Amino acid sequence: MFAASSSRSPLTWAVHASVIFLVVIWTLPTFGLFISSIRDKDQLAISGWWTSLTTTEQNRVIRAPGPDAQVEQNGRFVISGDVLEGGPGTVTAFGFSSREPTKYQPGDIAILRSGAELTVEEDGAFSISSAEPIEGRRGQRVFFSAETPPRFTLENYRNVLTSEGVLQSFVNSMTVAVPATIIPILIAAFAAYALAWMKFPGRALLIATVVGLLVVPLQMSLIPLLKMYNGVGAFFGVPAKTYLGIWLAHTGFGLPLAIYLLRNYIAGLPKELMESARVDGASDFDIFVKIVLPLSFPALASFAIFQFLWTWNDLLVAMVFLGNGDDQLVLTGRLRELLGSRGGNWEILTASAFVTMIVPLIVFFSLQRFLVRGLLAGSVKGG
Amino acid sequence: MVEQIVAAILTMVLGVAGCAFYFIGSNWLLDRIFPFKQGDSAVAARNQLITAAIRPWLFLGPAMIALFIYLVYPVFDSLRLSLFDRTGGEFVGLSNYIWMINDGEFRQSMFNNMLWLIFVPSLSTFFGLIIAALTDRVWWGNIAKSMIFMPMAISFIGASVIWKFIYDFRGEGDAQIGLLNAVVIFLGGSPEAWITLDFWNNFYLMVILIWIQTGFAMVILSAALRGIPEETIEAAVIDGANGVQIFFKIMIPQIWGTIAVVWTTITILVLKVFDIVLAMTNGQWNSQVLANLMFDWMFRGGGDFGRGAAIAVVIMVLVIPIMVWNIRRANAEMEGR
Amino acid sequence: MKQSLLRGIAAMALLGGTMTATAAVSADLVFPVGEDSKFNWASYEEFANKYDLSGQSLTVFGPFTGDESALIENVAAYFAAATGATVAYAGSDSFEQQIVIDTQAGSAANIAAFPQPGLAADLASKGLLTALPDGMDQWVVDNYAAGQSWVDLGTYANQNGQDEFYGFFYKVDLKSLVWYSPDNFEDAGYEIPESLEELKALTDQIVADGETPWCIGLGSGAATGWPATDWVEEMMLRTQPPSLYDSWVSNETPFTDERIVAAIEEFGAFALNEDYVDGGVVSVGSTDFRDSPKGLFTSPPKCYMHRQASFIPAFFPEGTELGVDVDFFYFPAYESKDLGKPVLGAGVLYAITNPSPAANAFMDFLTTPIAHELWMAQGGFLTPYKEANVEAYASDALRGQGEILLNATTFRFDASDLMPGKIGAGSFWTGMVDYVGGKPATEVAAEIQATWDALK
Repeated sequence: MFAASSSRSPLTWAVHASVIFLVVIWTLPTFGLFISSIRDKDQLAISGWWTSLTTTEQNRVIRAPGPDAQVEQNGRFVISGDVLEGGPGTVTAFGFSSREPTKYQPGDIAILRSGAELTVEEDGAFSISSAEPIEGRRGQRVFFSAETPPRFTLENYRNVLTSEGVLQSFVNSMTVAVPATIIPILIAAFAAYALAWMKFPGRALLIATVVGLLVVPLQMSLIPLLKMYNGVGAFFGVPAKTYLGIWLAHTGFGLPLAIYLLRNYIAGLPKELMESARVDGASDFDIFVKIVLPLSFPALASFAIFQFLWTWNDLLVAMVFLGNGDDQLVLTGRLRELLGSRGGNWEILTASAFVTMIVPLIVFFSLQRFLVRGLLAGSVKGG
Repeated sequence: MVEQIVAAILTMVLGVAGCAFYFIGSNWLLDRIFPFKQGDSAVAARNQLITAAIRPWLFLGPAMIALFIYLVYPVFDSLRLSLFDRTGGEFVGLSNYIWMINDGEFRQSMFNNMLWLIFVPSLSTFFGLIIAALTDRVWWGNIAKSMIFMPMAISFIGASVIWKFIYDFRGEGDAQIGLLNAVVIFLGGSPEAWITLDFWNNFYLMVILIWIQTGFAMVILSAALRGIPEETIEAAVIDGANGVQIFFKIMIPQIWGTIAVVWTTITILVLKVFDIVLAMTNGQWNSQVLANLMFDWMFRGGGDFGRGAAIAVVIMVLVIPIMVWNIRRANAEMEGR
Repeated sequence: MKQSLLRGIAAMALLGGTMTATAAVSADLVFPVGEDSKFNWASYEEFANKYDLSGQSLTVFGPFTGDESALIENVAAYFAAATGATVAYAGSDSFEQQIVIDTQAGSAANIAAFPQPGLAADLASKGLLTALPDGMDQWVVDNYAAGQSWVDLGTYANQNGQDEFYGFFYKVDLKSLVWYSPDNFEDAGYEIPESLEELKALTDQIVADGETPWCIGLGSGAATGWPATDWVEEMMLRTQPPSLYDSWVSNETPFTDERIVAAIEEFGAFALNEDYVDGGVVSVGSTDFRDSPKGLFTSPPKCYMHRQASFIPAFFPEGTELGVDVDFFYFPAYESKDLGKPVLGAGVLYAITNPSPAANAFMDFLTTPIAHELWMAQGGFLTPYKEANVEAYASDALRGQGEILLNATTFRFDASDLMPGKIGAGSFWTGMVDYVGGKPATEVAAEIQATWDALK
């Protein structure tokens, strides 16, 4: 393969270029999200993430302190302060009316309607001075335009983890996903072995049923299961929405794929192994535990990754079978809530979205090999 | 929070131990009741037959129960409920289905779902195939593949946030923070609120799923492409075929079966797609799809289990041809073993 | 009292395992008990002496999220302190869907706060709500201004078709308000309009000055479209007599009636005019209603007016001071039509979704003046409860809204909240989104009516 690429035909270059192009297209959305999540929230709100390395020009408005704050200096009444409020940046223009917010250059003197003089310096210092005592109830509004240097921060993450309940949801998601991954594996492995190597009537029918159930839409199950859970909950006087309930639900929904995948793999193990063990007097149980399980590790791992990603990323099952309180809301549900309640706060959305993605991405990149193997086993002939 | 983690770990251990206990215990019990390793050989032989008949069901038991409760029974119960009224109390015959046919929103959803069914599987497979073919030709192909495969790991809702950010719209004159509008402006166009554009918004939503699923198609098709016997390609090269011809005339026909598998897998996914529409538009601006419509009827405004179930049945009916095809394929495969 | 507080803390410590997980209401009381005389602390002490619910817990589920959820949690903290019960509040942006899931599942919170009486009525008809104890309805009649109308809004048929009283309002929102920045009006020399004719003239003048008069945003996640239904209702009350409004709500007058279509088009006169709205017509449907008012505060302002209910200050930029940075005026009526001063409002109805002694006690708590005053003092809360001290209102602005409520010649509840859920929280919203998207009002009305017909 290396040889093919070292021949420098234009076609090879075209292939390289198109692959780069495609990779950029595919990664840009996620990359943009990540960059945005570490930007300053004020900058994020008014400029695209691709401009994040350049200075941002912002039009802002502050209200100067009211007349209470005036001091007498050299016979004039003065109110002073800093429009940038100590933040970094350079003032490029200012004004006092919403109609002409950038009429004056820094250092200019603007005459207010009251006759007082307003001036704003480049560094943000402003002063209002008047020969007469300044009156009125409200402080004067000062409009200005400032260039602020790019700023990256982890504040957004701290914010979502502490005050938006994302951390709690992270724990909830873990609580859902880990058991919901382990339970079906155990159950499915035994069933897969039975379907692969044990002889009993109706085996073919059962396999066909499992294959058929692979495609049953989840939607079919929701209403009957919800009704059943209610019934069970009411009968035993327990809440209908529990972690146990969702673990079992995920187990049920994950089983067809688990059985199908593992059966394909286990059926592909060498027949001689089983037979020699059987000759040695080992029971099916021994064979399964001592020979099949260790050998099936790759298939078990690939299913585990699938199931973990699926349960972690699931929204529908969690919305129906888990509650909405802080103690049960999973990350995907939290993100959906935030999309509603924090619709325009992109700093919160981007950071939360990235938090929800972190675990699956780590799993994905570290265990990709198994994932690919599982996909191939599930979709292409053989194991 | 700590208690919750401890509780979760405890239940996990208990659950795993419970499962293990069941399998070990039931097998031990079976061997005890019908011993076949010692004693009278006639009895042992009989016992061995009995255990051989029972043991598969011990292995299969939990799985079968779970499959029955969570998938088989609900299918029939949904069918039944679709013939009942909103609370499931009163039999109403086919009136939910009659309502459905006359409902504008349902027809709109059907139409949109058809668009999804046509475009998402075909474009995902198409891009997957192209990318698989291209990445196999560069030395850093595996890195490229892994980047394109990455969206598979992201939840639909996370992907929706990512793309909502790309489609973000600010009025003309304001600086755009959505990438798409920024590009459009850079090219001299005017910004649009993409997800509100009737009809076309379907495609903007589909892009998200295509973005996610292309990686899946690519991985599988790439493996299939590599599985093509060298000889067939060499023969074509000797016959003077060029790269494009080889790809379309020699390689594609050989992986036709795999393409079909990828296509159907994505088709099933499309029928179930719910999170993306819920998060992006919730079916507004005529972008409703069946799965979200069903959710809507289940829970919004008091809920109507009858109509919800009827919509679920429609989704199920759409899946049946694929189900039949899958079962046949699996049977053929097993016989071929 | 102090003892029960201690008991409450002890109970919470004991239950820590389960409670840390939920948004446990802390024992921090925002206003120290007994200190400020504007609060009716006597009613608090009386309530505290009446109940001892140590070791019991209460869950409340409502539509308040984000900053708003802290307000109700603060009030609930007093209930917790007074009774020793632990209280957990959960809020959801998709309350309308979630409460149905929860009640169906039998796992609902003890108390639900319904922003839509229609939804509560729906659940009551399925037997999923628990009727309030006898006498509660009489209490509302006696103590709420225009009491009977509030009782009517909380009385629904149960699953056997019998009328029962299920809930009452705690937290009322006033809708007929237009928000503006006094400074911006001053800079431009605009006057507050006294009639709808003047409002339209002002709108045109702002356009003539090269500015944009309105910020309108209909986005609201799963509930996108609802702000437009308010607009249409305001227009109904300003173009038609209240009796038509009532028959529209009950669908005796269908949506397709030309007078209702005309009201939709009155809204369109504002929202569908490219020059009138910030960002142009396309942005109306996609802008989030919480982001929309921020245009009032930008430099230069993106718009000069924003019509929205009294709760909206919760979404103004941080540090915005009511009465200084922003103010409101009554969304005026036509001078030429003799319809008086109609006011549109809404409210949050509390009902029991999962009965328990603590749930009943909480409903009882909501009948104390102190429960109302505590939220009045935090802001974003109006109440028709006559015993609550108006001095407790957090600001002059809220008191001003109270005056608008009193000056109203007609008061009507938000129609979309009274219509069946599938209409008022479904096709009416969707229809308005379609209308803003360019569909003619007649078609939109026909579609909403068709959905309504399918429900019958």
